[in-house]
Amino acid sequence: MASGLAASALSASLSAGASGNVISVGTLYANTGSFATSSMPEYAGLQFWVKQVNAAGGMYVAPLKKKEHVKLVSYNDQSDPATATTLYNQLLTQNKVNVFVADFGSVLTAPAVTIAKDQKHLLFDITGSGTSFFSSGPNPYVALTSLPVSAVWPKPVVGLLSSLKIKRVAILYCQNDFDQAQAAAIKGFLSSKHLQPVYFQGVPTTQTDYSTIVQAIKGSNPQAVLEFGYPNNDIAFLNQLKSTNTHFNFVLTPFPGQLPTLFRQDVGAKALGWQYTYAVPPIMRVNKVNLGLGLNSFLAKFAPGKQSTVNFLNVAGYNAGLAIQAAFAHATSMSQLGIRAGLTAVSGKLQTLEGTFALNKAGAQVGELLPVAQMVPHGAGFQFKIVYPATNAQKAFVNGTPKYPAPKA
Amino acid sequence: MRLFEYALVSGVLYGLFYGFIGVGLNLLFGVMRLVNLAHGDLVVWGGYLAYSLTTSAHVNPLWAIPLSIPLALVGGLILYLITVPRLRRAEDTETSSLILFFGVSQVLVALATMKYGTNQVTLPELGNPVMIFGQPYAASLVASAALAVPALALFYYYLYRTRLGLATRAVMANEEEAVASGVRVRRVATSAFVIGIAFAAAAGPLATFMLGGINPTTGGGLTITAFTIIIIGSLGNPLGTAAGGILYGLASSLTQAYAAPWTGMVPYALLLAVVLLRPSGLFGRRVRVA
Repeated sequence: MASGLAASALSASLSAGASGNVISVGTLYANTGSFATSSMPEYAGLQFWVKQVNAAGGMYVAPLKKKEHVKLVSYNDQSDPATATTLYNQLLTQNKVNVFVADFGSVLTAPAVTIAKDQKHLLFDITGSGTSFFSSGPNPYVALTSLPVSAVWPKPVVGLLSSLKIKRVAILYCQNDFDQAQAAAIKGFLSSKHLQPVYFQGVPTTQTDYSTIVQAIKGSNPQAVLEFGYPNNDIAFLNQLKSTNTHFNFVLTPFPGQLPTLFRQDVGAKALGWQYTYAVPPIMRVNKVNLGLGLNSFLAKFAPGKQSTVNFLNVAGYNAGLAIQAAFAHATSMSQLGIRAGLTAVSGKLQTLEGTFALNKAGAQVGELLPVAQMVPHGAGFQFKIVYPATNAQKAFVNGTPKYPAPKA
Repeated sequence: MRLFEYALVSGVLYGLFYGFIGVGLNLLFGVMRLVNLAHGDLVVWGGYLAYSLTTSAHVNPLWAIPLSIPLALVGGLILYLITVPRLRRAEDTETSSLILFFGVSQVLVALATMKYGTNQVTLPELGNPVMIFGQPYAASLVASAALAVPALALFYYYLYRTRLGLATRAVMANEEEAVASGVRVRRVATSAFVIGIAFAAAAGPLATFMLGGINPTTGGGLTITAFTIIIIGSLGNPLGTAAGGILYGLASSLTQAYAAPWTGMVPYALLLAVVLLRPSGLFGRRVRVA
C-alpha cells in the first residue's frame, strides 16, 4: 500500500518533470472576501520566492541531484472554504502538483489539512496555526512553516501579564481554531494560578459590531483586555474603543504587528498608541540566516524604495518557499514522505528570516515563537518596541520596557 | 442594569440604522417582487463614495449622502432600463431577478475590488462620544440613527401622503387590480426602483461606520440583513421596516451583552419565529388593508 502510494507520487512528479522539467507547487489565494487582506500579501511573498529561485537557475532537488525550476500553479478561492476544498483537490488530481501550499489562515487551511491527510500529499501550511490541525498525533503530511501553533502564541503574553502582576484579564475571541486556541491557552494559564478570566466570551468570526461587547468588558473591570480576532475583527474592536473613548490599561490584539500599514490607516496611529501586539518580522529583524535572504536584504529586494509597505505576510509567503526549498534540497526521494524527510532533516537547524524553523512530529511549528511588542507613540505615529521575548534567544531583540498602565491617548 | 440600559439604547440606535438599510430593498421587493441580491453592494458603493470624498477632498463623510442620491437615481434609472423591462416579461420574475442581481452583485464586487482593493476601509469618527443616560455612544452611531429617522419618515410620506405612493401601495397589494384601476404600473415601478437604489446608496456612508469598515464583499451580509429586517417587519410598511430594524438591533445588542457567542444566530432565530408565527410579518395586516 505504502509503496503503491509512493509510486503514484513519483509518477506524478515525473510527469510534472516530463511536461516542463519543473517542480510544480500548487497554491490558493483569495483576491476577494474577508481573507483577501491577508492572503494577497502572503501570495505575493510566495511569488517572490519563485522568482528568486528561478532567477538563480532553480532550486536543488536532492533525489534528482540537480537544480529544477519551480512552477507555481495557483487558483483564487475567493475566501470561501468550500471553493478552496474543490481547488485544493484540483491541484492534486488535475494539476498533479509536487507539493501544495495552503491559503492564509486556519479557516482556508482547514480543508487543505484534511485533503493532505486523506491523499497523503505534503502540505506546506503557512499561517494556518489552528491547534486542531496538529492535535491528532504524528502527521507527516502537514508542515506549518511561518507561525507557531496557535496555542503557543500567547506564551510570551502570559509571561508579560505575570511580570506586570496582572490578575484581572478579559478575553474576547472569535470562534475559529486560531483565536479559540489562543484564548484557551491564556485561560489555562490563569487556571494554573487559580484565577479565572473576568470576561471570557467568543463571538462569530463575522462579528463587526462591538458596541455592547466593549461595555460588557468594561463592566468586568479588567486590568488587561485581550481580543483575539482576524484583521477585520481587530479593526472594528479597536475603532469601537476609539469612538467611545474607552480606555483600558492593557489591550492586546494579534494583527497590528502583521499589518501595520492597514491598521495605521483604518484605526489611526494615535488610537494604537500603547497597545500591544505580537512582534513578527519585519518588527523583529532576523538577518543571521543559512537559507534565503536575511530580513534587511528581503526588504530591499521585495519592495525597493517602499520597504515600509512590506508586512509580515509577505515575509511568511517567502518563508514558505524557503521551507519548500529546504525540503527538496534534503529530500531522500521524490515521494511525499521522502520530501517530508527533507524537512525533518533541517528542522531545528534551518535559520531563515523568521528565525529557527523547527517542526514537531505533528508538523506544528515550534521554533518561530513571537515576542510581544508595544506600540509606543512617536511623533505623529508610533514605533514597535519589543517588550517581552518568547525565548531566551529573543532577548537580544528586546528594545523597550512595557508601559503599564497605558497612558490615555 | 447599566449594561442592560446600554444594550437597549444601542439596540434601538443600531435598529434605526438597520431600518434605513431595509427601506430600499422593501420597495424593490414589495412593488416589483425583484429579489435584489445587489442591494448590499449598492450600500457598500455608497460607503466607498464617502471614503473617496474623505480621502481625496477631506470633507465630512456625511456629505456623501446627498451626493449619492442623484448619482444613484441616474445609475438606478440606467440599470432599470437595461434589466427590469426584460425581467418583468419573464415567466418567473422573482427567480430571474435573483439570478440577474446575483450577476450585478458580482460585477459591483469586482469593480470595487479593482478600484479600492481588498483591504477593509474605514471612515474617521464624526466626533466625541455622545453621552446618553450617562454612557458613551459613538457619535457616528447616534448620527446614523438620527439620519435614519427622517429617511424612514420620508419613506412613510412617500407611501402614504403622495399620489405616487398611493399607486405604489396599490401595486404592492395587487398589481392586476391596480392596472384595472388605471394605475400606471410602469411609472410606479420605475419610481420604486430608482428610489430604492437611492436609499441603498444613501445608507452606505452610515454602514461604513456601523460595520466597523467595509470591503468589496461586505455587501453580501448586508443584503441578508436587509431581507431579514423587511421580512420581520413586513413588506411595504415603513413602520414595519423600522420595527423590524429595531427588533433586529435589540436582538443583536442584547445577545452581545448576555450571550455573545450566539450573536450571529439570534437575529435569524427571531426571523424564523416571525415567519412561523406571523408569516406576513409584524405589520403584515396593514399592508393588506392598504
